[in-house]
Amino acid sequence: MKFLARRLAFYVLAAWVSLTLNFFLPRLAPGDPASALQQKFQGQLDPEALSAMKIAFGLSDEAAHVQYFLYLRNLARGDLGTSIAHFPAPVSEVIGTAILWTLFLAGLAVTFSFAVGTLLGILSAWRRGSWLDWAPPLFVFLGAFPYFWLAMLLLYTCGFSLGWFPLRHAYSNTLTPQFSLSFMLDVLHHAILPALSIVTASLGGWLLSMRNTMIGVLTEDYVTLALAKGLTEREVMFRYAARNALLPSITGFGMALGFVISGSLLTEVIFSYPGQGSLLFEAVTARDYPLMQGLFLAITVAVLGANWLVDIAYVILDPRTRR
Amino acid sequence: MLDIHPQFLWEFALVPMHHDQPALSESQAVSRRALLAAGGAALLSGCHKRLLPPAEEGVAVVVPTQRATWIRNFNPYFQSQCRWPGVAGIYEPTVIYNRARGKFVPWLARSWRWENGNKTMILTLRDGVKWADGRPLLPSDVVFTFELMKQHEALDQSSIWKHLNEVTRRGPEISFAFHHPFTLPALFLIGRQPIVAQHIWKQVKNPVTHADPHPVGTGPFNQILSFKPQMYEVGANPNYWQPGKPGLKKLRIPAFGGNEAQALALINGEVDWGAAFLPAIDRIYVSRDPKHRGYYFPSLEGTVMLYPNTTQSPYDQVVVRKAISHAIDRKTIVRVAMQGYTRVADATGLSDLYKKYHDPRVLTEEGDHTIYDPHKAASMFDAAGLRLGKTGFRTLQNGAPWVVDLNCVVGWSDWIIAGEIMVKNLRALGVNATLRTYAHGAWFDKLQRGDFQLSMCWSDGAATPHSFYQRLMSKDTLRPLGELAENNWHRFKSERADELLDALAATADAQQQWQLASDLQREFVRHAPAIPIFPGPTWGQSNTIRVEGFPSKDHPYSVLAPYKSPDQLLTLVELRPTGTPPLCDNPGEGAVDDLPGLGGPQ
Repeated sequence: MKFLARRLAFYVLAAWVSLTLNFFLPRLAPGDPASALQQKFQGQLDPEALSAMKIAFGLSDEAAHVQYFLYLRNLARGDLGTSIAHFPAPVSEVIGTAILWTLFLAGLAVTFSFAVGTLLGILSAWRRGSWLDWAPPLFVFLGAFPYFWLAMLLLYTCGFSLGWFPLRHAYSNTLTPQFSLSFMLDVLHHAILPALSIVTASLGGWLLSMRNTMIGVLTEDYVTLALAKGLTEREVMFRYAARNALLPSITGFGMALGFVISGSLLTEVIFSYPGQGSLLFEAVTARDYPLMQGLFLAITVAVLGANWLVDIAYVILDPRTRR
Repeated sequence: MLDIHPQFLWEFALVPMHHDQPALSESQAVSRRALLAAGGAALLSGCHKRLLPPAEEGVAVVVPTQRATWIRNFNPYFQSQCRWPGVAGIYEPTVIYNRARGKFVPWLARSWRWENGNKTMILTLRDGVKWADGRPLLPSDVVFTFELMKQHEALDQSSIWKHLNEVTRRGPEISFAFHHPFTLPALFLIGRQPIVAQHIWKQVKNPVTHADPHPVGTGPFNQILSFKPQMYEVGANPNYWQPGKPGLKKLRIPAFGGNEAQALALINGEVDWGAAFLPAIDRIYVSRDPKHRGYYFPSLEGTVMLYPNTTQSPYDQVVVRKAISHAIDRKTIVRVAMQGYTRVADATGLSDLYKKYHDPRVLTEEGDHTIYDPHKAASMFDAAGLRLGKTGFRTLQNGAPWVVDLNCVVGWSDWIIAGEIMVKNLRALGVNATLRTYAHGAWFDKLQRGDFQLSMCWSDGAATPHSFYQRLMSKDTLRPLGELAENNWHRFKSERADELLDALAATADAQQQWQLASDLQREFVRHAPAIPIFPGPTWGQSNTIRVEGFPSKDHPYSVLAPYKSPDQLLTLVELRPTGTPPLCDNPGEGAVDDLPGLGGPQ
């Protein structure tokens, strides 16, 4: 427990550091929201409109540190501010439209990829020399492609040319979101291509790291002992070898799960999936500081939260950490 | 990193990518519109097998702008944030400047006139217009709309209250009293303002942050039928004041976060009215169904210019600016960089938006420095003392090397190709020119502060030559070096231009307006403070398989680009299901007057 408490203190500090960076980093890039808007409109928006916008957006010329403390104060009250790109909607409302879709799509894809990749890793380490030997090179090869490129390829072939899957969005526009079987099947149908692009690109990594650690573990004496004791093959493979080999993968999974919240930016953009990645892309191009801060905050909290869960998982998996 | 991704995609695509597409009705541009998917489609054309489910009759699928998520905001005061077609479709303006026809069209106002030495503009409101809740539109609504802008500076997006003294009601008329004589620009700025209902908006606590989720408008489509982040639907107004219109039942507006999905939807024929940039559009888009598919890209934006920093030597000399202009091969730029979607500019810098003011005599009398003539350019450089040195490059008058940087934006590949051609043209004449690309924030910041030598940028696309030349030559728009300039980045002023501009803003006489605009063109051509390259096109695609009545090259009653506000309204009232008769004989001319003989537009 002391271990977990110590970790918790570390996370609070890490959160503060990243909040501060969230505030200052976007502001270091040249340009401001009003200029970004003027560039978007390329001379169609009156210069007068820009000064009016600045007033409406509440862009102040106050010193950065004053704005920083204001930001921290508002944050403490749970006020994330007003989005500029989606003015006048509050940042929390804008994020609210996207967060569940991202959690669903990327969460599903990452979990699936981790589960299948790890399982294949275990099996291919255990059954070296069998037909499973084709798996690591194949998936590592596929993983070498950038995921957005796979996404475009899938969109073009399976979506556009063959017409098997929808080309865009999270559900059919003729449906209204509700808890019904047909709606859920429709959502799944829409999620398959984007999820597949993420899974294909990341599966190889999980597989390889699991396989490598597993092979190391298989040479350990306790595995030989377990086999010698006459335990079943399955019991040795999962309870003795895999459980020990899983630790590094769990760390990676925690990180990946944390980053789920940022969305798979380009996958979402390519499939017009209404998630966090699309929002982040828009926020950055529009210099929407409040929305960027809100999104980064969500990512920070998620990554730190996921790491906290990993710490707990370690305590369960590895008795040495309990001391 | 995020900024770089799209370009990275385009390197795979090997098709030119266009920069962010302007869209007046939305803050998000119809951006980065060349598409990998489209490039792929060109390579593998003929592969697609899937046919789309037919949309219901009377429904148009419109993609006015590219945006990942829709947020419900119909506040018409914010042109850039209001969901389409809020500004002109749900709400309506009093007078529309039809940029394709170059004329003012009466809308909620039946007519207009000036009084009191052109210091007062009178609008006469139309009868029989009803809000969505059934209450009649009153002159007091118009007064209220403008009063609200006086109370809340953030709503006054045209800074109209800088010129206005007061707005009052006189029976069915509304009188706008200005501080000074103010004609054409006033009609444009006041005419396009969407009118809101007083009985609704007086209850709004803070109109600046009001998202107006349930708009009560007078427009042809004023019912929000559904609103989801990925798509919303706007239904027709059953009691619209133009009898028999609109012809459609509803508009469906899907959200597209990226180019790929948008392009595929267009190519797939799922979009009836689009605003995308497609490379090789005839092959990729039209050829799949030439009978129904069309596009219309009239050059009705401002002109893309090469801005020389006139505060720096040698760009402070007219002869050098004109020599640079003569050195540029615009035909190649239009053909290669712009895929022939526009035309070359002439020295007046006027796009087709200002066609009726264009005076070709100015060009013959003053000489058109935009004519490609490298020999003349070389001799002009020589005459200015920028002679070829030992290194093979030209030197400044004092013998120091002349090194020229031409600024452009990372990823705006049409501009980059144009910039590369210009650099090549200049180097052929011994000018040591280099293309410098910056991320858009940095590029624009340098431009605004005057920290550049030559830089590409757009120019004004408002309706009157007044604002166009004001932003290029007036002391009113001039800012000191280092300060952020909203325009006049090249930092040029001319007293003669200011006199002409003041006179132009003060006269209501069309003949005089034309003459003053001609004199302004002469002043601009003579000094060449900015170097015109090509007029910017407006982007629009139509598919008449389900919906017809769109403007086209053969029937150019308006622009096709759906993002052009308030022009879109002229098209919205004409669209109808394919196969039904046209809704009127004179589209783009405004509403037929319900009471003939009471005077129309002057």
